[in-house]
Amino acid sequence: MILQILQDALFSAIAAIGFAAISRPPRRAFAYCAVIAAIGHSLRYLLMSPGVALHILPATLMASFAIGITAVLASSLSKIPAETYLFPSLLPMIPGIYAYKTFAAMAECMFSSGEESFMRGMYLFCYNGMTCVSILLCMVIGAVTPIFMLKRISFQATR
Amino acid sequence: MMATLILQTCDEERVGARDICKFLADYGAQLMASGATCIRLDKNVRRIAAAYGMDAEMTVMPRHIHLTVTDKISGEVVTSISKVPDTGISFAQNTELSRLSWEIADHKMSYAEARKRYESISAGGGMSAWLLLLLVSLANASFCRLFGGDLYAMIVVGVATLAGYYMKMLLLSHKMDIRVVFMACAFVSSVVGATDMLFSIGTTPDVALGTSVLYLVPGIPFLNSFSDMLYRHYLCAFARFADALILTCSLSVGLCAGMWLMKASMF
Repeated sequence: MILQILQDALFSAIAAIGFAAISRPPRRAFAYCAVIAAIGHSLRYLLMSPGVALHILPATLMASFAIGITAVLASSLSKIPAETYLFPSLLPMIPGIYAYKTFAAMAECMFSSGEESFMRGMYLFCYNGMTCVSILLCMVIGAVTPIFMLKRISFQATR
Repeated sequence: MMATLILQTCDEERVGARDICKFLADYGAQLMASGATCIRLDKNVRRIAAAYGMDAEMTVMPRHIHLTVTDKISGEVVTSISKVPDTGISFAQNTELSRLSWEIADHKMSYAEARKRYESISAGGGMSAWLLLLLVSLANASFCRLFGGDLYAMIVVGVATLAGYYMKMLLLSHKMDIRVVFMACAFVSSVVGATDMLFSIGTTPDVALGTSVLYLVPGIPFLNSFSDMLYRHYLCAFARFADALILTCSLSVGLCAGMWLMKASMF
């Protein structure tokens, strides 16, 4: 279990560095990016593991909030705006599978032959679509609100 | 000393509202292009204006900055509109520009020097393209691992990202439309990503296919859009959201076309 968490943390750190690089951050941001992403990903993994068994929505919200808070703290240490750290750390949580299933269900709906298959497609479309949108909302709310809560730190970071 | 002269009221030495306004409109547009949120833009611009003894009010439109500067001493009012340049997100620039605003406010930097610093920041280059390409490919391969992909899936995703991202850089350097670029890159990446399935190499071909296009997800516009919404800049928030949504749709079209071509399906 612990080995699994460490391994996941390592890969999410590598992923965060690469995805941070796309938005051209200052060089000293990379180390912080890696640490914040590792914390966020491990936290969500822990919260959703059988021991805690939290639903995906609260787990995502809590992990995103932790990412937001650590990003603001890191911003004052590194003198880089906190926004730099958010996206690469959040990316592993993007509900791509739900988004894909939503579109697949929509296609099923449109090309359905009868009421039964249409209702099945509609059900899958609504369920996956709602889950996808809620997860995305939890992610952005959790990550962005700390910047507004800690305005004094967030906007003096580059001073 | 220059620093004290700025705040003096003597007319020869003091920079006029016209210069400050043009500077701030350029500064704001550049900051916006580098991926700053409305709240940061607002705070930075006001900070600089206050340092030169002026008031600044602005409307942040999705592609333009509309700014009015009022000289608190002479009462002169100047308005300027600057177009937001298409330079792409750069948090290095965002950081440097934000720092510049604090340096002007804290150290009473002269206008000429501030202008010079601004020019050098906005001309600044980034990381070498090859290193970026390598980092992005490694990152997406690691992602594949996070989502439960095996070693083969990781390699396939790494190659798919390498091909797609190289194409993205190439097409963008030819000034091609960003939506077309996203479609084309998602198509190429998904076709390469589906080879895992085609040749049945590994045990997790669906993960390889699903992860192969993730590097295109426009996450920063989404996050900035929500931040603007919290700051009650709804127009800008909506514009950024629409932008991100259109890019996501382009990406989906490319992905679907790739999957259709390869007769692949996920999950």
